[in-house]
Amino acid sequence: MKSSRSLAEFVSLKSPICVLSLIVAVLSGSVAQADTRGEQLYRNCTICHGPDAEGIPLQLAPALSGLSEKYIIEQLKKFKGGIRGKHHEDVAGLRMLPLAQTLASDEDIQAVASHIVAQASSQVETSLEGGDATKGQALYAVCQACHGPDGKGNDLLNAPSLVNQHDWYQLTQLKNFKSGVRGTNPQDITGAQMRPMSMILADEQAMKDVIAYIQTLSK
Amino acid sequence: MFDFLDRFMPGILEWQLPRASEYALQIDVLFDIITILVGFWFVLVLGFFFYLIFRYRHRPGQKAQYITGETHKQKQAIEIPHLLILACDVMIIVPTFLVWYNVKIDIPPADEEVRIVSQQWAWTFHHAGPNGMLGDDDDIISVNELHLKKDRQYTYHLESRDVMHSFSVPVFRLKQDAIPGRVISGHFKPIMAGEWDIQCAEMCGIAHGIMAARVFIETEEEHNAWLAANTPAGAASEFIATNELKISEEKEDRNNG
Repeated sequence: MKSSRSLAEFVSLKSPICVLSLIVAVLSGSVAQADTRGEQLYRNCTICHGPDAEGIPLQLAPALSGLSEKYIIEQLKKFKGGIRGKHHEDVAGLRMLPLAQTLASDEDIQAVASHIVAQASSQVETSLEGGDATKGQALYAVCQACHGPDGKGNDLLNAPSLVNQHDWYQLTQLKNFKSGVRGTNPQDITGAQMRPMSMILADEQAMKDVIAYIQTLSK
Repeated sequence: MFDFLDRFMPGILEWQLPRASEYALQIDVLFDIITILVGFWFVLVLGFFFYLIFRYRHRPGQKAQYITGETHKQKQAIEIPHLLILACDVMIIVPTFLVWYNVKIDIPPADEEVRIVSQQWAWTFHHAGPNGMLGDDDDIISVNELHLKKDRQYTYHLESRDVMHSFSVPVFRLKQDAIPGRVISGHFKPIMAGEWDIQCAEMCGIAHGIMAARVFIETEEEHNAWLAANTPAGAASEFIATNELKISEEKEDRNNG
């Protein structure tokens, strides 16, 4: 009898605290519910790709938010299988290689890709100088067959979107394709498609020109 | 000396990991010496401490005494253990310096060389190709795979592309920091064939914990087969052509001579 009375006294005395605790518990429960598997997995990516998947130049990490779900899944599988990012000169790829291993299953890859495509894509800062967009437009005529006139890519042709992507990243990847750092693994079928296309760009200036034009497509 | 001492040591580390490099035995013996001496004092001091707690426990009518340690006998209680611990320190320091010298300072003439480049979060290994020279076109470069010949003396050259890493091969008992801007050379001699772990041992970023690689210690035949399978195509044909030219020149010299 005594114990039940003291419990009742305790509850009445601490009732504001009890109510507050209950509210906090309910709120945290709803937050946990919203915290999807993809969001949880993406926390490992934020340190390099940023919380909104906008990419961080200092970490050599590209923007992901403008890419299609299919392309992200394909690339994650390539990194996980050592098909991409295993060349000794691919400094950024070698960073991504072990982190892709943290995605244990196809479901995890799907979840994180779904989370990334849900992020809004926006224009990123340009950092390259000396590119001529007018010359680049002429060079882009070849690229648009796969990447589209608006640069938004075409999943049916395995071509990623190029808009709202960092220019320094595009230059690095074009150089990687051209030098064989990327696209030379026999299992990298789509990389092998891009590699001969990169050869069309004669030198670094041509790459900068076409990138300058691509940047004008970003919004 | 270490081979002799090893006969009397328990080999605590070897229970957990085999010794795959020549100097692993020295590290293990040193580890055993330190563990035994420190363990001895740990048990002795704790035992004595608990004995005193029990022996001089609270009793009715017994007052605590404040001992200032001024008599000769009281001083001896400190001085004798102090001298004994100093003697143990010497027994640890002498083999420590010897092992340090053998492992880190005295680099023996190399049979083979390997370049190791660390970066966030991968290891790149540059192996000398069929011509045995490091730093030319026939080098075999692999990511996260180090291939070594058993019973050959290696000198390694360790670099970092970005931040500090540490090249740790537990079966070699080797751990060496990689520092950006520096090339740090060291040595090892693999003595046990097999496939073992390499792990970064310096916190280097988010994927430090999975910055792992494998070391493959192979017999001469296995290593040559690996070399043949992985030598860059152009470099291999160039090497064969050069050697064939040398052989034909030697034959010609012999015939002319």
